[in-house]
Amino acid sequence: MSLVDSERPAATGPVRSTSVGLSGDGRSLGDLGVLWVPAVVLVLALLVTGSLAWVSYHQYTRNERRLLGLRLRDAGALLTAALPDIQSELASAAESAFFARATASAKLGVIGLLRPPGLRLGYAFATPGVTDGFVAYGENQLPADRRSAIERTSAFTGLDYALYLGSDQRFQDLLLTSQARLPLPGPTDSVTVPFGNSALTLVMSSRIPLAGSLPQRLPWIIGIEGALLAVGASVGALRLTERRRSAEDLASRLEVSSSENRRLYAEQRSIAQTLQHALLPDALPRIPGVQTSAQYRAGAQGVEIGGDWYDVIDLGDQGLLLVVGDVSGRGLPAATTMAALRYAIHAYAAQGDPPARILTKLSDLVSVVDSNQLATVLCAVVNPERRTISITSAGHLPPLVISGGVGEYVELKAGLPVGVQTGASYTSTTISVSPGATFLAFTDGLVEHRDDLERGLSRLRDAATADDTGLPELVSRLMDELSYAPSPDDSVILGLRWTS
Amino acid sequence: MDQLDAAADPLVTVDVATDGVGTTIVTIAGELDIGNIDAVDTAVAPLLLTRPERLIVDVGGLRFADSSAIALWVRWAASVDEFELRNPQPLLRKVIKMMGLAEKMELDP
Repeated sequence: MSLVDSERPAATGPVRSTSVGLSGDGRSLGDLGVLWVPAVVLVLALLVTGSLAWVSYHQYTRNERRLLGLRLRDAGALLTAALPDIQSELASAAESAFFARATASAKLGVIGLLRPPGLRLGYAFATPGVTDGFVAYGENQLPADRRSAIERTSAFTGLDYALYLGSDQRFQDLLLTSQARLPLPGPTDSVTVPFGNSALTLVMSSRIPLAGSLPQRLPWIIGIEGALLAVGASVGALRLTERRRSAEDLASRLEVSSSENRRLYAEQRSIAQTLQHALLPDALPRIPGVQTSAQYRAGAQGVEIGGDWYDVIDLGDQGLLLVVGDVSGRGLPAATTMAALRYAIHAYAAQGDPPARILTKLSDLVSVVDSNQLATVLCAVVNPERRTISITSAGHLPPLVISGGVGEYVELKAGLPVGVQTGASYTSTTISVSPGATFLAFTDGLVEHRDDLERGLSRLRDAATADDTGLPELVSRLMDELSYAPSPDDSVILGLRWTS
Repeated sequence: MDQLDAAADPLVTVDVATDGVGTTIVTIAGELDIGNIDAVDTAVAPLLLTRPERLIVDVGGLRFADSSAIALWVRWAASVDEFELRNPQPLLRKVIKMMGLAEKMELDP
């Protein structure tokens, strides 16, 4: 039983925290899902990186080749420009030697590489097909190792070259080179310029990137940076995926645990109600002349068993003993005290004790000092034939009697609740009712709500006299109308009606 | 006036004052029910062990009380010579009267 006033917040169901074990075994499939996205991110990023690196490398080599070609063209032009000098030197030498004018038909003939001693390139300037003509012969001394480096200050610094006689790049025809080993390393390009009746072939390669070092490094930079970014992105994706996964996991766990909580709550509530109903009478005794009906309803916080009870005891000749009681508090302590009181009343009634003595004796069973419990109990002895009710109250709410369509609460001198004081005395009040009268006893869970206790009692009275229905219907209707949610307390209503 | 922390229950506060000549005043405010009754009882129990002659429980600030609270006061009343429940709200007053406890609680008529 409880006393509720307007400040009381709406009762809410207790929240039980339950840890629900989800084993890690079920995650192997989920891990594939976690790795899927990062793997795709990694592959895509690596593909993009690889493509960029390849494009930049391709561009780099194409640029280098083009630059090398330009250099080579310059070198070939220089070479072509230098060769007529040889011819004109020989021509002027011939003129001074033979006092003959070198004819336009005179041709430069290349003899070839001569050795030993030394390594020389021989060439002659002669008039072809004329036996009495003149021949001017010249030689160019070549380094024995045929090495000649390009000067640092030259425009061609950074390039390697090999100069061959003739158009074939044969080692025996090599005139000069900057490199100790041939062929030249790296990509090469060549140009052949006419030299007399032969030709000179210039092969070049670049020792350093011609466009600077950045284009050379760019593919590597792109590749390495891209790979790092790809790994970073996939790790980031992995984390995000895992975070999302764990959020989903948590959500599903919460879902499971809240449904588990609901289930446990419902189960506990069901256990409490089952226990409570087990402690209440199975069937009310039937005796001629009167009809009885009772209902119990658990409070909104019904996970705990309450302390309300009702009972109807057949007293034989003396009629029926109706009992409604309410033990303070909730849970098993209240329920066990309730059971003890209920069976004690049965026993004392069987011994023939009148209600006032029964209530006095009950005070020996319950002590507020020892157990911090007290109980309010209403006993009513009904004589069906005489239509009298003798009512005794231990601090309980007064019963409502409807007689001739008028509802009235019986004025009682209420004694102390059971458990306050041993040896407490009680007085009974006897009333007579008209035929067809209805007697209603109840616990405070039914009438006390957000407003005044008296207003609750008035509402019960108004509801009980609103229309004329059968007793079971009336009891059910009052329970439905008055114990509106959420009442934190359990409620009992017990009714008796004279059928004649 | 000492404020006893009733098991850190945010719903109820308990203050205890003693005049030194046998009267103890316990002021309870907030909500008192089966859920925090033990905490309040534990907080006040040492004072009752000193057997004060007169115990005044001021419930003017109590917005809600259930029957466990009434049982607690009845028990306190049993452990002292004089007991007075002071300033109960109208509903609480009616219930105590209806339960036949008005005399026990020394309520004003």
